[in-house]
Amino acid sequence: MNAPQIQGGRGVVTRAGGVALLALAATGAGIALDPQRALWAYHAAFTYWAGIAVAALILLGSFHATKARWPVVLRRVLEAIPRTLILFLVLFAPVALGMNKIFAWVDPQGSGLTGELLHLAHHRHAYLNVPFFLVRQLLYFGTWIVVGGLLWRWSVRQDAEKGVGLTVSQRRLGTGALPLLAITLTFAAVDWQESLDLHHNSTIFGVYYFAGSFLSAVAVLVLALYALRREEPFRMLSADHWHALGKLLLAFTAFWAYIAFSQYMLIWIANLPEEAPYFIHRTKGPWGAVGAALFLLHFVVPFFALLSRDLKRDPRKLAFVAAWQLVFHYLDIYFTMFGGLMPAGPQPHWTDLTALVGLGAAGLAFGAWQLRRAAPVPVGDPYLQDSLRYQPQ
Amino acid sequence: MAMSEAAAKVDKLDVLEPVPVLVGRPGDREINDQLFQPVWTQTRRTWLALFAICVSLAGLLFLAIAYTVATGIGVWGNNVPVGWAFDIINFVWWIGIGHAGTLISAILLLFQQKWRTSINRFAEAMTLFAVMQALIFPALHTGRPWFDFWLFPYPSTLALWPNFKSPLMWDVFAVNTYFLVSLLFWYVGLLPDLAALRDTSKSRTARIAYGIFALGWRGSARLWRHYRIAYLLLAGISTPLVLSVHTIVSFDFAVSVLPGWHTTIFPPYFVAGAIFSGFAMVLTLVIPARKAFGFENVITGKHLENMAKVMLATGMMVSYGYLMEHFHAWYGGNRFEFDTFFKTRMFGPYAPVYWTMIACNVITPHIFWWKKARTSLWVLWIASILVNVGMWTERFIIIVTSLHRDYLPSSWAQYTPTWVDWSIYAGTIGMFGTLFLLFLRFVPSVSASEVKELRRELEHEAHAPAAGHG
Repeated sequence: MNAPQIQGGRGVVTRAGGVALLALAATGAGIALDPQRALWAYHAAFTYWAGIAVAALILLGSFHATKARWPVVLRRVLEAIPRTLILFLVLFAPVALGMNKIFAWVDPQGSGLTGELLHLAHHRHAYLNVPFFLVRQLLYFGTWIVVGGLLWRWSVRQDAEKGVGLTVSQRRLGTGALPLLAITLTFAAVDWQESLDLHHNSTIFGVYYFAGSFLSAVAVLVLALYALRREEPFRMLSADHWHALGKLLLAFTAFWAYIAFSQYMLIWIANLPEEAPYFIHRTKGPWGAVGAALFLLHFVVPFFALLSRDLKRDPRKLAFVAAWQLVFHYLDIYFTMFGGLMPAGPQPHWTDLTALVGLGAAGLAFGAWQLRRAAPVPVGDPYLQDSLRYQPQ
Repeated sequence: MAMSEAAAKVDKLDVLEPVPVLVGRPGDREINDQLFQPVWTQTRRTWLALFAICVSLAGLLFLAIAYTVATGIGVWGNNVPVGWAFDIINFVWWIGIGHAGTLISAILLLFQQKWRTSINRFAEAMTLFAVMQALIFPALHTGRPWFDFWLFPYPSTLALWPNFKSPLMWDVFAVNTYFLVSLLFWYVGLLPDLAALRDTSKSRTARIAYGIFALGWRGSARLWRHYRIAYLLLAGISTPLVLSVHTIVSFDFAVSVLPGWHTTIFPPYFVAGAIFSGFAMVLTLVIPARKAFGFENVITGKHLENMAKVMLATGMMVSYGYLMEHFHAWYGGNRFEFDTFFKTRMFGPYAPVYWTMIACNVITPHIFWWKKARTSLWVLWIASILVNVGMWTERFIIIVTSLHRDYLPSSWAQYTPTWVDWSIYAGTIGMFGTLFLLFLRFVPSVSASEVKELRRELEHEAHAPAAGHG
């Protein structure tokens, strides 16, 4: 089977690259004007996009671990998403350089921490200190980039070499890396989000961050395929492929709600002084409305919409729900992060938008550029025919 | 696609999928003959010997229950502060074991996994019998089991309502729903085979007995259509139950403020642990049963290997739960949490139980990274037993260590189970074994109708590329 290169990608790369440069430059200006607020905005956007890229790698590893045949036709697009982690390592620089503005634990006294919070910052110093934090980031990114890079390289090599040897290699690495990916993403969640609010101490938080990011990774995949649907190889995607992706969206919408409920319910009911403040800030006043919106719009509405078989089989409608879930995942990140940093209520800032758009556009440009360098579908995969014939009973 | 190309493709794929889910392509008659054989042949001596052992243990259960009811639950080892111990440990252990059945029958059906077909009935039967054992413990723990009906929201003339704020009440609803749905699922799945047994029976008694249970199944196209719809609907209803039941069981502990119990990861971690122990029990039972009945062609190495992989995955999820609990016990800065995890559990009086748990649940499953281990029956069987032991010790550690040393050192006390505790526990194993042996003797333990369907699917797949659909 011949798979022509993607035709329309160059425009996406240049346009998204241009938007990224402009938006990131604007965010840079924001950092110069209001360092702390703009760095928070940047950090929120970074946590959002980098989490999605890592979750896409976990999705890819899961496909290999379960020897799934149906997603082979769309696997190359999925493989391109974690490639952006190379870019995100570079884009982590503002977070690393601005740590003293973002995290109160870097300089507890200077950040105005007192009482119990000061005590907690001192207690956690063995883990939450700048050198160890930076070493951990290198370990996380190193793991993600190596695993994602090897899976990409072997998959692309298989286009020319064919054969099953590289399928075996990908399956072995994809499976074996899953525990490492789970651990690194969890501790990244602790470092990036949980450590922002010293009252936040929740054993499920790593799973919570994973659930939202994984749901969004599926959503990004759906949107990417929707954008590519008129390109030659992707015309072969059948309603069954969209249906399968829709089922994944549905399952992880429910999974996110399950994890969110577990965290909320158990902290609320125990009402312990050291952890209850996390939800006191987020259930009263304006944050309470945001929380209710998340419950309704990130779970109830999309869940019932996705129950529809017709919707899942219609690429346009499915793409709409995917975009919807991406928007609300950002609101979830915003809620988790700013609920503690701005207890009085959300105070939107223009850098929230520029950072979100800038990092997203940078990721899109980089991912599209990667995708243009290889065949858009893994033409050497022995299961490509099975994937194209995918027709569940 | 040309024939030679299709053949080459099959060869290539065989390297990656060397073990099939069904060996050979037996005809319908052969499948019936093989899978119904344990029902129609004479009772074997081994079966009788095992049955005698299990019935004796079940007798011990009834004696211990009678003694408990007549005397009161003071005959157990429970004390202050360990007000809960064997009763809740064994409840959680048995409920957890049941989860693999529901996962295999419902979730793997929705995922269209072909390897579920030959093991689903074993696993579903195991679920039912395990839940029955589980229910014995809370029923007795109420102290006056003759008042247990108060737990149900019947129109009470006493104006006495159960405390709906208590997770123990949620358990009543969760577990009873689980039992009911599992029973329906199992029974609906059995109908075509019961009818086949009716039609192939050689004695009038058997024909009448299986005829009654087959509910008039005639195998018409209309019946099959309704059957498929009902089966899928029940699978859909069962799927959330896999999550909800053990989530609610985890709430029994997590809603409290006790160190080691109150932790937000409990719901998914309990679910993963339940599936882990459930698959271990399926392996423990399936390995000897398939050997005894000569079912190696329908329960192939692929089934066993896949179950080992599920155990590896869920075992690592359980280990992840342990890691998070320990990390946050330190990170949270709560001294009581820290002491529970890093002093009481690791080095306290129950430390040997803790380290057994780590050895069985954290270390043992990693042997399944190696294909050799996944394909060795002895390794699989021994590892599955170790995991069963490990998951029991996990519940012991969670419940007893958190209770016996809590916030008030003056109330600290040791807990030791009495002979009555051990008898009830051993008795439930006997009762479970008795029911399982009866199931193996009187019901086809592998679904003949589904194996026939599987064979057709496999034939269809094998012909698809050559037929030009590729």
